[in-house]
Amino acid sequence: MAKITENTRNEVKEIVYNFFAEECEVDKSKINDGTFIIKDLDGDSLMFLELIEIFKKKYNLEIELKVIGKYSVKHPVATIGQLIDMQMLIIEHENRLLDLDIKS
Amino acid sequence: MPEEVVITGMGMISSLGLSIEENWRNICEGKSGVQRITLFDPSGCATQIAAQVPPEFEEVSKTWIRKRAAGQMTRVTRMCVTAAKMAVADSGIHFDTVDKSRCSVIMGVVSTGNSTAERDTTLQNTVLKSMTNSMAAWISLEYQLTGPAFSVNTACASSAYAIALGCDMIRNQKADVVIVGGADSIINREEIQGFNALYAISVANDPPESASKPFSFDRDGFVIGEGAGVLVLESRKNAINRKAHIYAHIAGYAITSEGYNIMAPMTGGEGMSNTMRLALEDAGISPEDVDYINAHGTSTELNDRYETMAIKTLFGKRAFQIPVSSSKSMLGHTIGAAGAIEAIITALSLQNGIIPPTINYQNPDPDLDLDYVPNIARPKNIRVALSNSFGFGGHNATIVLKK
Repeated sequence: MAKITENTRNEVKEIVYNFFAEECEVDKSKINDGTFIIKDLDGDSLMFLELIEIFKKKYNLEIELKVIGKYSVKHPVATIGQLIDMQMLIIEHENRLLDLDIKS
Repeated sequence: MPEEVVITGMGMISSLGLSIEENWRNICEGKSGVQRITLFDPSGCATQIAAQVPPEFEEVSKTWIRKRAAGQMTRVTRMCVTAAKMAVADSGIHFDTVDKSRCSVIMGVVSTGNSTAERDTTLQNTVLKSMTNSMAAWISLEYQLTGPAFSVNTACASSAYAIALGCDMIRNQKADVVIVGGADSIINREEIQGFNALYAISVANDPPESASKPFSFDRDGFVIGEGAGVLVLESRKNAINRKAHIYAHIAGYAITSEGYNIMAPMTGGEGMSNTMRLALEDAGISPEDVDYINAHGTSTELNDRYETMAIKTLFGKRAFQIPVSSSKSMLGHTIGAAGAIEAIITALSLQNGIIPPTINYQNPDPDLDLDYVPNIARPKNIRVALSNSFGFGGHNATIVLKK
């Protein structure tokens, strides 16, 4: 289980904001945690997968896509803030992500 | 009573231009788009020339396609979507004002051009780039159209088939607007070596611009081209209601199979002649009324011989009075895009009263004795014109256009 600090969240947020600003050709200042990925940014579901690959490499994560798939069915992501929260959970729990549902 | 079908918008990307206007100007001037290949190093290939789309296309496409979507498309798909968006803009249609469930997309697609030269992509995008339905899908996504969107593959006749099928959808009132066309590029080492093995393409590398010489005695195969052509078809009633510019009517068509050979056309051009005859019957137009034929005219030994014979069979003595020209002399053979690109050129001929030339016609073949509009465009009032497309596998298409 990776150790999460406030710095990690800032780092993840910075990467996510930059990614969407670049890919969706929008000014970064126009993006906030409440921004809807599809409705407001014209984004797509593949962006989520691409970000997971970026974070897998950056934090050397052991996480299978099917785990994320199962988790995200129950916890759909619509906004930038929700995406960041999800990425934080992935970094923290990796393949044990589904245990969160069992515990809750 | 079937609806009449008209062309109200057109977009075209080719070796001779990145807009309808630029293409038409260069075609009327009889320019060649053929050059030494720069998309990859052709050293070692028997054929080292092709009609490439200019590199400026990349900048042009950025004005029409979002960066995110562009990253999920091959270069050819970007050509198709760019041409489609140009055609829609040209038509003046605002899809928010029409019933999107009655708007369709049909694209002639042989491949998406996801060759080894282009596979510098993420794994997710490999599948998206290779899907042959992707061109139709991207266009429908772009405008949120919910009528049928699909691709059709009949080799070199693919986008002519797309026009024919789109025409039917409007005639039968299954759709109000259909975006039809196609795009292709096979300028890569694998395809060129494959066509060289079939002795289908020209090896007259020097000078490149003289290599494509349809109907000439010294023709030695087609020259590969690339590009996209897209047309907006709608019912005449619809077009008139919204005061749209009408380029031409699609009066009829025929699509046939020869059931003969996977590569060679039927001896004597029997299948070709039959296709032209059926198209005229479908249009209710007499052979006497045809003013121009935009030929398939590949610059191969068999096609040009048999297409000439087919025209003589159908039109008899009048064949010698009908101008016949090959756009492939200038643009090369754009394979899946050819039918749409040549239908666009034929529509522009009708609109502007100019017949494009067959360039590089310096050495006539004594057996091929029609009026091939040698080297220089010709003014002529055209009321009815045919556009022929004949594909490997015996897929034939003739589109009848009229003013």
